[in-house]
Parts: sequence; structure tokens; C-alpha cells
Amino acid sequence: MGAHIVKTYQEELDQLSAEVVLMGGLAEAQVADAVEAVARRDVGLAQSVVQRDHKLDELEKDVERKCIRLIALRQPMADDLRKTVAAMKLATSLERTGDLAKNIAKRAMVIAEAEPMTPLTRSIERMGKLVSSRLRDVLDAYKAGKLDLAQNVWASDTEVDEHYNSLFRELLTYMMGDPRTISACTHLLFMAKNLERIGDHATNMAEHIHYELTGEDYVEDRPKGNTLNSIE
Amino acid sequence: MDKRKSVWNVVPAGGVIGMVALVGIAMVPVLRPFLIYAALLVVAYTMYKYLVIIGEAEGRIKALKLPEKQIKVQPQGPSFQEVLRAIPDPVMIVAGIEPDDIAGRWIVFANTAAQGLFRMDGEGGLLVSTIRNPEVLECVDEALFGGISTSTFYDLAGGARDQIWRAYASPLPVTGPQRLALLTLRDETDARRMERMRADFLANASHELRTPLASLAGFIETLRGPAKDDEKAREKFLDIMATQAERMRRLIQDLLSLSRIELNEHVPPSGEADLTLAARDVVDSVSLMARDKGVSLIIRAPKPGLYPILGDRDQILQVVQNLVDNALKYAVRGSEVTVDIRYDLSLEQAVAGSNSGAARLVLLRPDRNVHDFYAQVTVRDAGPGIRREFLPRLAERFYRVEGQKSGDKLGTGLGLAIVKHIINRHRGGLVVESQSSVTSDAADVLERTPNEKVATLPAATPVTFTAFSACFPQARAYGLGADTPRLVISDGVSRDLKDAV
Ligand SMILES: Nc1ncnc2c1ncn2[C@@H]1O[C@H](COP(=O)(O)OP(=O)(O)OP(=O)(O)O)[C@@H](O)[C@H]1O
Ligand SMILES: [Mg+2]
Repeated sequence: MGAHIVKTYQEELDQLSAEVVLMGGLAEAQVADAVEAVARRDVGLAQSVVQRDHKLDELEKDVERKCIRLIALRQPMADDLRKTVAAMKLATSLERTGDLAKNIAKRAMVIAEAEPMTPLTRSIERMGKLVSSRLRDVLDAYKAGKLDLAQNVWASDTEVDEHYNSLFRELLTYMMGDPRTISACTHLLFMAKNLERIGDHATNMAEHIHYELTGEDYVEDRPKGNTLNSIE
Repeated sequence: MDKRKSVWNVVPAGGVIGMVALVGIAMVPVLRPFLIYAALLVVAYTMYKYLVIIGEAEGRIKALKLPEKQIKVQPQGPSFQEVLRAIPDPVMIVAGIEPDDIAGRWIVFANTAAQGLFRMDGEGGLLVSTIRNPEVLECVDEALFGGISTSTFYDLAGGARDQIWRAYASPLPVTGPQRLALLTLRDETDARRMERMRADFLANASHELRTPLASLAGFIETLRGPAKDDEKAREKFLDIMATQAERMRRLIQDLLSLSRIELNEHVPPSGEADLTLAARDVVDSVSLMARDKGVSLIIRAPKPGLYPILGDRDQILQVVQNLVDNALKYAVRGSEVTVDIRYDLSLEQAVAGSNSGAARLVLLRPDRNVHDFYAQVTVRDAGPGIRREFLPRLAERFYRVEGQKSGDKLGTGLGLAIVKHIINRHRGGLVVESQSSVTSDAADVLERTPNEKVATLPAATPVTFTAFSACFPQARAYGLGADTPRLVISDGVSRDLKDAV
């Protein structure tokens, strides 16, 4: 190949957001597949999640490189600068999301060897669905440049916490009832924690989109439920 | 290879020629005045080449948009584009030039179905802005650069309504650097849903029927053997058996209706329904039961017929019925069960709850940006409430809150699951709000100080309640200044009830 196509400034910016959306699609699929691997006890699927993670890492590096190049060579101003910075931040959040999904998938492989705990894995699945929908909404907001969509995601932050708290209690009851399940339950607990953090990344991304579109930081406090801080 | 050139090939070439010329001219003193002209010439030439290249790049991008060639099916007939537009399945044509340029795939054509499915603004655009599913993108790449036709499942979750599509990508013959592929989608939701449902139904039905069936078999055994001639025992056992059979009947009925609702879940309801009418019908039908329990039922609703909602009447009725059934089941003697109907609410208002500080959870969030106004029915009872940690699992099939006395009859745990599926089909929302006497914190405190007999006033026990709010998209806004939600109180208590209470 070698030969460069001359890209206009606008094209470079567009390509940047296209790449972020592409990363978003990958991250979404990683989260969905990881959760499905837990629900269906599918070790093969979990393995492929782990194997695919490097794609997100590479894309993040690529986006970062492109952003820096753009800032250095084109010196974007105002809107364009915010767009560039937001792309970089989103890419970081998405890469982290991928790491968390990978972690869930790894744990899925471990618990697939233990006895099935259907009610618990179903709770994980439910939480996973919720987190995935937040991820999807925030990416739709980014793609369409719609402020209200991003704000909706931001405002519904506490729902994930509710699910997390409920699952936490459910797990405790389970572990106390049958100490043999403790090690598997611990894995489930960390999965829930990871999902909660993916939810937080969605909220972060909503904030970055808000910044991209308005140039202002979110001033209000985050809507936080009473989180259990005992198990960080 | 390709004839594309870059600025970086041309600029040095221009530079070298220019330098040689300049050195030559500089050697001959007479020609020095021409030096300036020569320099200008070189600059102009380089500029010209540069512009040509930029122009070519733009031209290439423009070329990606398919020109509307009028190749007719028949001399007087439609063009092929028009034929594609009329196909009911989503069809797109995707173009790409370089495999490495991962974001560089353009949709150059999308038919009407595709535009509708992806809510596109036009026929073109970057592919990733429309589809970001990595598997579909991979199929497209295979078709563009590998020349292979492939297909993949594509889960399209729009709101809570999952659709399963199959995406087919196949290469299209072209000459030149630009590659084209055809991407078609087929809705396979029904087939997959049927498959999954059959498995679910069997698993659920056999599991839940096992218990009553075992008990029936046990009684039959006893009646045949030890209790053969015991008149009194026989009567008693037959009673129990009748109850079990009734339970099985209800279970099967619920399971069947749940399956039916699930099957139609992604088919939007046609027709209009009225929440006030539904609420009145339900309240009338349970008024006797409420009187027996000593519970007063109160409707606060506007006059019927003012603000129709988009929905299936029977299903809306079933939603209200199931919620009121539950409320009555858990209401304590002498308390009130209220059914409130509000309308012209925005999405945020519809899922906001009463903001009372009680535990609240959105069990189902309506699709954003689809409808402007929602009508909402809230059924509230002053029963024991549901503890916060149990809220997320409500509406799961067969889920019953642990250790809860469910009154006289044991439920099947399908009521709320049915409610949720119906609301989902109507693209509405479901919120639960509850205050229970044992909040977990209070429980901790009780455990820690079991025998402290301090003469303090007992902490005011919070008023316990449970409220389920279902909201549905309205067919149209009722009020003009629709930003303030109104609560219209009409005839207050329904007529029969006035007599009953
Ligand atoms: N108003 C309420 N107050 C307290 N708990 C409730 C209330 N409504 C529902 N629940 C809890 O939620 C559970 C699920 O309710 P659901 O209506 O799905 O099933 P059910 O009432 O047990 O059975 P059925 O299928 O006959 O309605 C109930 O078993 C109960 O524990
Ligand atoms: Mg019920």
C-alpha cells in the first residue's frame, strides 16, 4: 500500500469518531458475550472474549495516536478540539470496558467448572443486560451527537447500583447457606463489581459527550445510590 | 498497481526540477532577470499539481456515492435502484477502498427498509455510524476484500425489544480500486423466538407442575389405600385435591397466556385503549373480593375517552387486573388500595415515582425518544411492602419474595412477568416503589441491641406501602400546555364501591 490518500481535515475528524464508534461496537459485543458466557456456561465463548481483547487495545492506541497527530498538525480550535479530546477519552473508557469484560470472561471459565447456580447467574445476566443497554445508549448518543440521550444515561446511573446491591445480598445469603459455594460466589461478586464499573464508564462517557457538545463540565452531583463500599 | 499518487511524490519532483533550473540560470549572468520568473513558474507548477491531487481525492470520495444510473428493467419501467428500494428486506450497498482504513467503509445505497430499520437520515454515510456490530462488519470486510459471501446473526436490541436478524454480505463485481458489497438483512426473530419459547415453556411447565401433581398422586394413593372407607377423610382430601387441581389449572392458563404474549411481543399493538375504562372494569370485578377483605378500593382518574393510549384493550386490562390482584392480596384489613391515573407525562415524569424516599426501581424503561406523552396507572396498597433488595427480581418468572405471607392463596409468580411482557410490547414502562418496615439498616440495629431496655420513644415505623406504576404511550396529547402533569379526580370511588364501603 504505502501511498497515503490525502485526507481533508473534516475527514480526519470524521474518521476519528468513526473509529471510536467502531471501538464501541467491539466493547458492546465483548460485554454481551462475556455475560452470555456466564449465563450459558460457555467456555469457548469466554475464551474468544479473552482473545479478542487485544483488538480494543490496539484501536485505543490508534485513536490516541491519531488524536495527538491531529492536535499537533491541525491545531483544532473550540468545537473540533473538544471533539478530539472527547474521542481520546471515550477510547480510554472503552478500552477499560473491554478489560473488565475480559475479566468477567476469565471468571466465567472458572465458574463453569463449579455446580450451576442458576438464580445467581440469572441475576448477573439481568445486570449485564442493563449495563449493555446503558453502553448502547451512550454510544448512540455519541454517534448522533444528541445531548438529551447522553443526559438520560447519566441520570439513570443509580439503577445499576440497585441491582448490584441486591445481587450482593443475594450472594451473601447463598454463601452463608452453603459454604461450599463461597469460591464460586466470590467470582460472581467480582463479576458484578466489574459490571458496575462498566456502568460507571458509561456514565463517564456520557459526561465526556456532554463536554464535547456543550464545552461545559457536568456540575451537578452524580446520582448515586447507597453503594456498599465494604467490598472494594 | 494503482495510479494514485501522493503530494509527497510530487513535491520532491517539482523541487528537484526547480533546483536544477535555478542553478542553471544562476550560472549565466545575462539570464539572471529570468530567475524570478523561473522561480514563480516552479511554485505555480507545484501548486497546480497539489491542487490536482486534492481534487482527485475529493473526486474519489464523490465517486463513492453511486450515481443514479437510469438502467431500466424495461424501457418504461423502474430503474434497478427503484426496484431495490421496494424490496421489503433491508438492503444496502457498501463501498470500501483500503482494508487497513478500518473506519473507511461507506454505505452508498440503502433501501427504504434499511433506512427505517436503522433510522438513517439518507441513503448514505459511514457504515460504522449505522452498524457497529463487529461480526457484521467482519462479514462486510470479507465480502469487500476477500470476495467471499458470508452471513452472521445480528442481535438488534432496540430498547428492551430484542430482534434477531441474519446479515448476509456478498461481493459485487466492480472494476477499479473501489470495492462494493451487498449487505442484506433478514428478520429471524420469530423463528428463533419460537424455538427458545418451546424450550422455556417445557422447562417451566414441567418444573412448576411437578409439585401439585406429586401431591395429587399422594392423595389418590391414600384414598385408594388407608383412607379407603374413611368418609370424613375422603371429603377433606377431595377438597385439597380440588384446590391443587385449581392451582394447576391457573398455572397452565398463566403459562399459556405468557407464551402467547411473548410470541407477539415484538409486534406493536394496533388499536386504542383507555386506562380509565380498564381500571373501572377491574375495580368492578374485584369489588366483592375487596369487601370480603374489608379493603376499600379508590380510583382517581379522569373521565374515560379523553386520552386513548396505543394498545390492546384486553392486555391493558390484564395489566391493571394483575396489579390490583396483587395489591388486594397484600393489603391489610381496613386499608385502602388506590388506583391513580395520570396522563400527558413526559418519559422522565413517567418513570420518576413519587419521590417519597422509599426504595424505587425501574423494572422496565420505555424506549427513549419514541413517544412524547405517556399515560400512567399507579396501583398502591398499604401492605407490608417489599424490601429493597428483592425489587430487581420482581417480574422474573416464578419469582416470589422469600418469607412473605401471601395470604390465602399461593400465587404462581407469573402475574408480574405477564405485566412486564405486555408493557414491553406496548413500549411502555414499569416502576415499583416500596417502603417496607424492615429496612435492612433497621434490621442490623435490632440485631445489635437485642436487650437494651432504654426508655426511648420507639422510632416511628415508616408507613409501609407498595406502588406499581405502569405507563403507556398515549395516542395523542390531551392538554395543550402539556408540560404540567395533571391529576384529574373524577367520580372518586366507583359506584358499586360506595355501596360496598
Ligand atoms: N403489592 C405487593 N405487595 C407485596 N409484595 C408483592 C406485591 N406485588 C407482588 N409482590 C411480590 O412479588 C411476587 C410476584 O408477584 P406476581 O404477581 O408475579 O406473582 P404472584 O402474585 O405470587 O402469583 P400470580 O401469578 O397468581 O399473580 C409475589 O409473590 C410477592 O412476593
Ligand atoms: Mg400476582
